[in-house]
Amino acid sequence: MEINFICNGRERQAVIGGDTRALDLLREDLNLTGTKEGCGKGECGACTILLDGEPVSSCLLPAAKLDGRKILTIEGLNPESGKLHPIQQAFLDTGAVQCGFCTPGMILSTKALLDKNPAPSTAEVEIALSGNICRCTGYGKIVQAVLLASERLQVKS
Amino acid sequence: MSENKYSVIGKPQIKVDGTELVTGGARFAGDLRFPGMLHGYAARAGVPAGLLNKVDSSRAEAAEGVVCVITAENIGGPNLMGIMPPFDQPVLGADEIRYAGESIAFVVAETKREAKKAARLIEADIKPVKPVLTVEDALAEGARKIHPGGNVTFTRQLIKGDAAKGFDEADIVLEDDFETSFQEHAYIEPEAVCVVPSGDNRLTVYASCQSPYHLRGQIAANIGLPMSKLKVVQAYTGGSFGGKDDVASEIGILAAAAALKTGKPVMVSHDREESIIGSNFRHAIKIHYKTGLKKDGTITAREVKILLDGGAYASESPFVVMKALIHAAGPYSIANVFVESTAVYTNKTYAGAFRGFGVPQVTFASESQLQEAADKLGLDALAIRKKNALRPGDSTATSQVLDESVGIVQTIDAVVKRAAEVPVIDEDERFLYGTGYASLIQGISNGAEGIDVVGASVQMSQDGSVLVGTGLTELGQGSRTVFAQIAAEVLGVPLERVTARLVDTDSVHDSGATVASRATTTGGMAVFKAATEVKNSLTQMAALMFKTEAENIVLKEGFAVLSFDDSARIPIADVATAAYWTGFPIMNMAFSRAPDADYDHDTHQGKIYIAYNFGTHMMKIRIEKSTGKVDVLNHIASHDVGKVINPLGLTGQVEGASLIGYGLAHMEKIEYENGIIRNPNFADYAVPTIMDRIPTEVIAVEEFNSTGPFGAKGVGEPPVAGAAAAFVNAVSDAAGIRFRKIPVTRQDIMLALRSRDSEEE
Repeated sequence: MEINFICNGRERQAVIGGDTRALDLLREDLNLTGTKEGCGKGECGACTILLDGEPVSSCLLPAAKLDGRKILTIEGLNPESGKLHPIQQAFLDTGAVQCGFCTPGMILSTKALLDKNPAPSTAEVEIALSGNICRCTGYGKIVQAVLLASERLQVKS
Repeated sequence: MSENKYSVIGKPQIKVDGTELVTGGARFAGDLRFPGMLHGYAARAGVPAGLLNKVDSSRAEAAEGVVCVITAENIGGPNLMGIMPPFDQPVLGADEIRYAGESIAFVVAETKREAKKAARLIEADIKPVKPVLTVEDALAEGARKIHPGGNVTFTRQLIKGDAAKGFDEADIVLEDDFETSFQEHAYIEPEAVCVVPSGDNRLTVYASCQSPYHLRGQIAANIGLPMSKLKVVQAYTGGSFGGKDDVASEIGILAAAAALKTGKPVMVSHDREESIIGSNFRHAIKIHYKTGLKKDGTITAREVKILLDGGAYASESPFVVMKALIHAAGPYSIANVFVESTAVYTNKTYAGAFRGFGVPQVTFASESQLQEAADKLGLDALAIRKKNALRPGDSTATSQVLDESVGIVQTIDAVVKRAAEVPVIDEDERFLYGTGYASLIQGISNGAEGIDVVGASVQMSQDGSVLVGTGLTELGQGSRTVFAQIAAEVLGVPLERVTARLVDTDSVHDSGATVASRATTTGGMAVFKAATEVKNSLTQMAALMFKTEAENIVLKEGFAVLSFDDSARIPIADVATAAYWTGFPIMNMAFSRAPDADYDHDTHQGKIYIAYNFGTHMMKIRIEKSTGKVDVLNHIASHDVGKVINPLGLTGQVEGASLIGYGLAHMEKIEYENGIIRNPNFADYAVPTIMDRIPTEVIAVEEFNSTGPFGAKGVGEPPVAGAAAAFVNAVSDAAGIRFRKIPVTRQDIMLALRSRDSEEE
């Protein structure tokens, strides 16, 4: 089938099989490999993308469901190369990135949270990121990163 | 921390490879794409033990998209791998199946989906035999031999003084059994490798791996190419923790064999289930522990018997046996120690390296028993540790006399001081409150485990920018940042002018594996050495330009500066250009070798490691009485790291390792049923999530270590042991029940509380 969708602000058209996953469409057809596969079962959050602003596991999402929708992947977060999004910068500044494999998903879950709730509490951060597993950092610095990004984005707006 | 006289060292630095990681630009192995690339997928045995009569691949070969199938017969070479002798692991199962996750055939197809589908069509004629599933069964008289040499993989003893005499001198003796479970690495990136025929009669191997040189050697041996025909390039690697070594070899060999056969690039990227069932775990260990003490808390003797379940193949079991043996007595000065450590084979997924390497398990046992002794003797938890702690001039359990960098007492004092500042909370009667402590020692770098060399290159270009390469891998721990910092400090240039690249085996000496908390210490020394050679060229050149002697030149802030006139400056780029045209080399390849271990192999007495990390942890927790749920209220982790290179990286390492220790002690357990893993996914195997995080507070102690760059020593592994042991002591304290088996899960706590309550009624 043929689908039309907006990916990172750009109109896209794709011909897909009925059982194609959104994750494969992104990685194999659009070469957007910033979206990672960690488990293939929606248990780790590495493949998180934003679908009309909502974080979803792209490994569980049929590509067909993208038709007529708008998605954001990590590659769409800083369209101007060389200039990082405040969330990305906050992750670096706080040391919230180690191996970096969970990071794209973690950052997109953060974006979904802060778009809706610009000043979340620590507990709200935890709930928002509870579907994203990180094995390296112990999470402390990730919470700091989200709170720092929240602060900086509020000052900016 | 001591005063810092450096410009780059000791200051928080953002990861030099951070930008590509937050933008999705970093290319992990599974992200690579090459024209004509094929995909491989392995069929696995599915039974834990059996005789493999025949593998029929005809149906798979006929399936859509399939290009070829590789089996044990046509792999090319000896079909044998392993990290160290005995090299006992077939790449593809042949003749005998020894664990259920064992690969038996490798299907190569145009897409991964086709390869995976066709792998189900592999027909294996396996005659099942009764699996050997426990260490007791493996060691029982008449037990079926899993390998021709029997079921003991490796056994060693450590003998210091006379343990029997020490127990005679003791006022009290404690003797208990402890047990730990298999732990999965659970790096978020499953293993992946892509082998590309590079058109120059060589193969390039892009790999998510921990040890590119192991990988190169194992591939070469198994496909019959000289090592010089292979180039291994480390791809961005999504965590490893000890886990991406054996399994990287397995898939690297298979992909290389297929690339050779087809002439096309071949990718293998594991699914999560394959990553769990088909790659090594942390050893499950049974520990019989005995401690004798005087009434004042002085430890007179310790005797430990350690039995490691190594699973189907040796992997790194021999080294883990030794590391557990050497560290079993803890960070204490004890006159009489006897330890026996033995790994055995069972028909389960093999066990091998995992952050801490045997030390977390023995530390949990030793610190549990020491705490029980303190409670029995009515002594303060930290006072008893301090009383016995090693001090400069004391000798370890291996009789190694430590003259410098022995910061265990300082870590205890740091915890005492910080703990006094933690506000006292109002206790709620719905909860049980407890505090746990643990002190630990962990040897740094390979030591007794083998030759300890690292290659590094430092190359300054004529524009004054610097390229650093080493043979040790960046796995997320921040080693590229540390290496860049060291080069920047030595050469007096800003960190932004330094690029530290990923490993390429063509470019520097074989550096062994990135293990044993050795990257900062031994890798850092190699970079220091190479950078110093380049610095010498620059100062000689600058001296000619200033018409002075080289000793009057200081490199700083991107300039060569006269030491007696700070305004006399030449930009480094000008000096580098002049040096190049004058004939001073501005690239150096260093090959750095740490002092060798020197010890008796029968008693393990002697010099074992070049340095030791020491640590003390405190954890305050509460248990909800009605549910058994544990909340960690405070966690203080103090480590003697010699010298902090990057505070941001240091705290990240301690926090991350601590949560892995917490998972080991409280949550994580591989569940077997008749030799089959029941929980090979993240829904059933509980990896800590952000909801489980603990409030780790890191305190660095800096006792200068002369074997590391700027006095530094590694810290990647040690906190695992500290957090795990402190957690068990805290829970035992709160519950008033001694737990001797980990993980101590919420359910275990609940059951223990209930059973005690019903006894009391």
